[in-house]
Amino acid sequence: MIIAERKPFAEIKAMVAPYKKILIIGCGTCVAVCLAGGEKEVGLLASQLKLALGLEDKRLEIGEITVERQCDLEFLRPLCDFTADYEAIVSMACGAGVQYLKQLCYLQPIFPGVNTSFIGVNNEAGFYTERCRACNHCYLGITGGICPVTMCPKGLLNGPCGGTVNGHCEVDPEKECAWSKIYHNLELEGSLDYMRRIVPLHSHDRRTSPGTVIHPAFKRRYGAHE
Amino acid sequence: MSKLRETLETGGFAVVVELQPPKGTAVTEMLAPVSALKDRVAAFAVPDNEHARMRLAPLAAASLVKEAGGEPLVNLSCRDRNRLALESDLLGAAVLGLENLLLVSGDYVTLGDHPQAKPVYDADSVQLLQIVQGLMAGQDSAGLPLNGNPAFFPGAVVIPEADPLAPQLLKCEKKVTAGAQFFVTPPIFDLDKFRAFREQLPLNPVKLLAGIKVLGPEAAAQAAGGQWRRVYSLPPHLVEELAGKEPEEVLALSATAAGRLLKQIKEEKLADGVYLKAQGRTDLLMQVLEAAGL
Repeated sequence: MIIAERKPFAEIKAMVAPYKKILIIGCGTCVAVCLAGGEKEVGLLASQLKLALGLEDKRLEIGEITVERQCDLEFLRPLCDFTADYEAIVSMACGAGVQYLKQLCYLQPIFPGVNTSFIGVNNEAGFYTERCRACNHCYLGITGGICPVTMCPKGLLNGPCGGTVNGHCEVDPEKECAWSKIYHNLELEGSLDYMRRIVPLHSHDRRTSPGTVIHPAFKRRYGAHE
Repeated sequence: MSKLRETLETGGFAVVVELQPPKGTAVTEMLAPVSALKDRVAAFAVPDNEHARMRLAPLAAASLVKEAGGEPLVNLSCRDRNRLALESDLLGAAVLGLENLLLVSGDYVTLGDHPQAKPVYDADSVQLLQIVQGLMAGQDSAGLPLNGNPAFFPGAVVIPEADPLAPQLLKCEKKVTAGAQFFVTPPIFDLDKFRAFREQLPLNPVKLLAGIKVLGPEAAAQAAGGQWRRVYSLPPHLVEELAGKEPEEVLALSATAAGRLLKQIKEEKLADGVYLKAQGRTDLLMQVLEAAGL
């Protein structure tokens, strides 16, 4: 699923500052599961904004609604009439949802309420890790079920770089080398021949190192720094 | 045919000395070892933004080495160039008469001095070797014909102390398939580990240049402080010997130790040559070569 993190409150507050009446639209699928942009998070953001602006003697009228998926017209179309009453919209969906919503509500400014992080998995509540770069050419069948494009920061396709130390990555010593794991998995499968073949050049997209998101409410549980 | 290639192919012992391209345009210091050692060594390697730290471009540095009478070994990293840039730089190297290549993936950008830069890695080192093979055969990576084919002597890196070693050996085999003619290792300090690695290396007749390094004070301090995290290990006696010494003393002791290692590698025929790193300093390089009896 898509993993996202809610934007810092100060950033959202600054974006909506020029308006008197805004609508916050949540998304009930991926960003709801990762506790960033679902119905509860819409309510939380609305309350935060009201409280913060109230302390400054400012008034902001806020509408709240959450749809099943903002990346799906079926769920967006019914919003059309509803949104016309508002000066601006904050979408709590991933980048795809924000853009889809803008296609319909093109007369108003739409601000993203979350930063879209990556395609990943739900390890445990509040703890998500990246698994896929959506590169449109899946190698998982020949790489022991581990994506070298995503899990190797260099996206190497033909084996480990020279920086592996004790089976860990030169970029992040906390992470196991993707190619060490790929080798291990292929060996267990009896499929090492896949790794012996030279994988030709790939069309690369933008890359960053594999990411991790821990929801603020769960930082203490996982020992992450505040 | 390059002197490096000729030395290796005729069974000679090749000494490659690594230079330090400047961070800036002052090249006198970088070139000093060339005039001093050009008759004693096979080639002068010019790293490509080594450790992801921005320095003078390797093609320019190599061209200056050639003008100064030395034979360059151009390092080319996949980190900073996409396939178009790699290929056009390779053609550039060829027309400048730069034949020797060391093709590497490249240390990751976050480890260097431009940590916010975009890492490229459009090709990996195996694919880059294939690109070189293709260019030599008159075709670029898009399958388009060249007007004039380059000639190269391509090499690659192998990590003897990689842990785990098996994936590294497998990649090494792929590099051979992709056209690597010689391999360079990171610095070797533990000859027992190196001997064990040689036995596992299915590389005949591919040539091997063992890395020899004059440890700097920073590395010595890291090792003494228990913060060592590199792809090669240091023997405890060397760490103890260097601990707490003044920087110049560390370098002098390291140079003597490096010379001893070099001599033993040559005498035991553990490698076909060495890739010598000594901070790019002529005095240290001379000291190593003299301690090795070369």
